Amino acid sequence: MPLNIDVQQILLHMFNLVLLFGILYVLLYKPVHDFMAKREEEYKDREDKTRDALSDAEKLKGDYEKMIKETEADLAAKRAELSAAAEEDREKIISDAHARAAQIVDEARNKAQSEHDRLMARAQSEIAEYVSKAAEKIVLKDESLSDDFDTFFESMAQQKEADNG
Amino acid sequence: MDKKKRTHFIIIMLFLLALILVGVFLTGNTSGEEEPIGEVMRDAVLHENAKVRLLGILPVNPALISAYTVTGIIFVFSLIVRIFVIPKFSNTPGRFQLLLEQAVGIFDGLAESNSPHRHKFLGAYVFTAGVYIFIGTMFELLGVMVPTTSGGTIALPAPLADINGAISMGVISYCVILSGGIAGNRFKGVLNTLKDFSLPISMSFRLFGALLSGALVTELVYYYITTSFIIPIFVAVMFTMLHALIQAYVLTMLTALFYGEVSETTTTVN
Repeated sequence: MPLNIDVQQILLHMFNLVLLFGILYVLLYKPVHDFMAKREEEYKDREDKTRDALSDAEKLKGDYEKMIKETEADLAAKRAELSAAAEEDREKIISDAHARAAQIVDEARNKAQSEHDRLMARAQSEIAEYVSKAAEKIVLKDESLSDDFDTFFESMAQQKEADNG
Repeated sequence: MDKKKRTHFIIIMLFLLALILVGVFLTGNTSGEEEPIGEVMRDAVLHENAKVRLLGILPVNPALISAYTVTGIIFVFSLIVRIFVIPKFSNTPGRFQLLLEQAVGIFDGLAESNSPHRHKFLGAYVFTAGVYIFIGTMFELLGVMVPTTSGGTIALPAPLADINGAISMGVISYCVILSGGIAGNRFKGVLNTLKDFSLPISMSFRLFGALLSGALVTELVYYYITTSFIIPIFVAVMFTMLHALIQAYVLTMLTALFYGEVSETTTTVN
């Protein structure tokens, strides 16, 4: 054949090539390829796991943020409630204090009044006593007045008894 | 190495080189009149005269011996790697593991990018083809000498510098493309593949021509004694390396491209 083309040698070359394909596929290509694919799969798995974990963490973060918001809202409500209760208590305390103060003032006033009355009565009795003693002294100095004085006292005592009924 | 020793070394080297040069010019034939250049180049292309016995029985072109030698080398290398290296692979690759992963990854990526819908078998094939072309072409640099049927010796060429090797590679690549067509589109895939009937011829001859041109340039350079010094380092090594890389890339890329084209499932939109 032209150019020294030989079918037998072409077939021998083909046999060699097919043999080489088998050798390289079994001994080199497949093991290396499988290793690379396995490693890629492993990294993909890791990436997926990381992505899942990240997604879970994001979800958890969202849940916690929501929980925090709810808690904050609850807290605000509680705070408002407490504040209202405190205000109410304050008002009550103040009103109680006012009432108590008024009571104390009244009591003090009554006490002062009664003291005043007592003092006045005492003063009056003392004055009356002094006056009586003075009058007695004067009367005792003058014999004529003594009888009148006794008469006066007796009439006064009678009048008092009549007043008391 | 101190300055004195270095000077001695350089002087000895220069003396030896000069001695060899003198010997070459005194003993050699500077015009290459023993065998005309046309004959040398014709022999490099056709291998009509220089045959080698395969297993001591069948006289074949030396490139076929190269092909089986390359397969043997790759087999031993792969076996060693499979037994001693691959079981020790780690998730943080070392240099050699990275090299192997890169080699597999490059061809796998080439197959996947050109035929994203079906690329498992294609990846394995282009890996084999790429490795075979690259190592086969680089094998030429070893200059392994074998006895010919005529009693002389010949340096083993690259397996694909032989037209038979190139044709087999082209035909197998075409068969792989055809298999992709059948797997992807059944009968339509076969038609799509057969439509490019010139593909095996173009692939074969492209490969053969590219590798042969390098071999011819090297032959020319070696033929004349005056160009046999220093220049072959650049010409032979650079040509061989460039051809190894370029042809490995071109054939695998073309195969992947056509495979992807014919195996792509076409859907009719009503």
